Amino acid sequence: MSDLVLSLRAVEKTYLTGDVEFQALRGVDLDVRAGEMLALMGPSGSGKTTLMQIIGLLDRPTEGTYLLGGRDVTDLTENERAEARNREIGFVFQAFHLLPRLDLLENVEVPLTYAGIPAYERRERALEMLDRVGLASKARNLPSQISGGQKQRVAVARALAGRPRLLLADEPTGNLDTRTSEEIMALFTELNGEGTTVVIVTHEPDIAEYTRRVVRVRDGLVESDTTHTPRAGVRT
Amino acid sequence: MTAERLPAAQTPDEEETLPGRRGGLDFLGTLTIAWRAILGSPLRSVLTALGVIIGVAAVIALTAIGSGSTAGITKSLESLGTNLLTVQSGAPRFGGGGLVRGGPQQTITMKDVEAIGTFAPNRIAGVAPSSQSNVQAKVGSSNLQATVIGTWPAYETVRNSPVATGSFFTQDDVDGRKRVAVVGYQIVTDLFDGQDPVGQKIRLGNVSFTIVGTLPDKGNTGFGNPNAQVLVPLSTFQQRLSRGARSGTSVTVSNVYVQATDKDDLTNLQNDLTDLLARQHRIEDASSYDFNVQNQADALASLNATTQTLTLLVGAIAGISLVVGGIGIMNIMLVSVTERTREIGVRKALGAKPRDILTQFLVEASLLSVGGGLVGLALGVGCAYLGTLVNITPVFSPATILVAFAFSALVGIFFGYYPASRAARLDPVDSLRYE
Repeated sequence: MSDLVLSLRAVEKTYLTGDVEFQALRGVDLDVRAGEMLALMGPSGSGKTTLMQIIGLLDRPTEGTYLLGGRDVTDLTENERAEARNREIGFVFQAFHLLPRLDLLENVEVPLTYAGIPAYERRERALEMLDRVGLASKARNLPSQISGGQKQRVAVARALAGRPRLLLADEPTGNLDTRTSEEIMALFTELNGEGTTVVIVTHEPDIAEYTRRVVRVRDGLVESDTTHTPRAGVRT
Repeated sequence: MTAERLPAAQTPDEEETLPGRRGGLDFLGTLTIAWRAILGSPLRSVLTALGVIIGVAAVIALTAIGSGSTAGITKSLESLGTNLLTVQSGAPRFGGGGLVRGGPQQTITMKDVEAIGTFAPNRIAGVAPSSQSNVQAKVGSSNLQATVIGTWPAYETVRNSPVATGSFFTQDDVDGRKRVAVVGYQIVTDLFDGQDPVGQKIRLGNVSFTIVGTLPDKGNTGFGNPNAQVLVPLSTFQQRLSRGARSGTSVTVSNVYVQATDKDDLTNLQNDLTDLLARQHRIEDASSYDFNVQNQADALASLNATTQTLTLLVGAIAGISLVVGGIGIMNIMLVSVTERTREIGVRKALGAKPRDILTQFLVEASLLSVGGGLVGLALGVGCAYLGTLVNITPVFSPATILVAFAFSALVGIFFGYYPASRAARLDPVDSLRYE
């Protein structure tokens, strides 16, 4: 039980728009063990984005319980959720979301800053992470000076800088071409091989081929939960 | 196992409990973030702070010039003579009237002057009646418009006007209606090329005078031009230069300067002289007095009152401009929050608490206004020194500078709070999706 990174039980989410209720999730059960890499798939409107937001502690479920690393995080306050996001979850977004005015090193430092880590240690750890994704030489460049694939690598470095329990990637290859997508997926595979738990939200079947486990969501429910032999990532 | 070295899943036993965690964003970090945001768009930052810059600069410059000119006027008032009472024609005015010359009708006669002279010799150090008129002063072919003042030798001490070279004219000169003159500094420089003119002749109107003394440079104090004055015996003036100013059968003068022996007696003497002249003029009702006795202290007091009012007004204007500047900051901060919605979303996703975001924007607004305050301070000091162009030496008060500066900082915090709290309340899901 203790190796469960996340565990959702009967999670429901209902949005209220004006007087219209919309049930995005209708009772999702999902367990992810430490060291797993899985793809969360589903067409648009399936509820996969809502599920991602709940897993990422950006939103809270209307019903059900959510255990993150064995701790019940269903009813955390806003501040507690901010802390948990900072400490437990590393986000990778489709649009990279690097802060344009900060250089790459400073971007990687952002989560460490909010964790209250002293400047010197922050710098060292951020540089280490940039080195891990092969971009240490560009540490002082601005995001506008590097390619999309490189931006996503920096985003991965930023996501992992705080040593989170879970790497949560939302359509991480959505803005990348095929070759760069393959490189990023290879990076995820590599990181997973080193022990990082990775959840990738995607609607592209190509991407899901990289993960051993694929969870399909449709109409707010888990439609299928399958495992297969993943495609080997391209070496970078 | 590489998991030890790399940021991998934590094993449960090495983790601390969440709420006990140290930290959060330190102040230096917040300051850096805000500073980067300000430097990121320098033009906008300057424009944002412009209101505060102008507000602070206005307060500093205006108050410095204001107190500078007050100090200047006070100094020149005091240089006009000490323990001075001025008897003038015209009804008494209250508040600030001492700087204005009497009415058109001259009512102070030579008989009044005599009465004053014999009234209380031990309380009065000197009496100097004076009449004046603007006359062309001519030496050879050069000339200038001079203010010729007919007076008595006591003028030298009563009006604190000692000669620079030569000597003042004497009582004998007055009694003998001698054509002698003490000339101002500008007469010496403009008509005698700076050479000592004592013993030389000067034509005042159509009358030739012998120069017996010169006055030092008195500067331009804002009361006409004391350097263009020529002092002559009153009797000579009345005979040769005046246009026959009379009241009934008696010759009149413009005013009478009276110096009190004792400073503390000034107000009593002022009242006693008023009573004396009322008897002389046979007027009982104080509201129909055709003369007034001005006290130098009154003039100073009313000057101070005027200055205080002006200072208050300047303060009010400056306060308003600072508030307007603050609204400018709030406006731009609101725009900035909207523009940076995504950034806020990203920061929240990465672990920023509402408090962190609030502090970030609040610090940014404060930095803008404090920076604006500093620039305004420099600008204000610079502008105040422009006052020296019109002979006003600015006087800076540390209190004003401090208050203006502190106020500008407060403005930033006050007007930055609303935009900052809006940023802090943004929902991370919505703001990440914001385009």
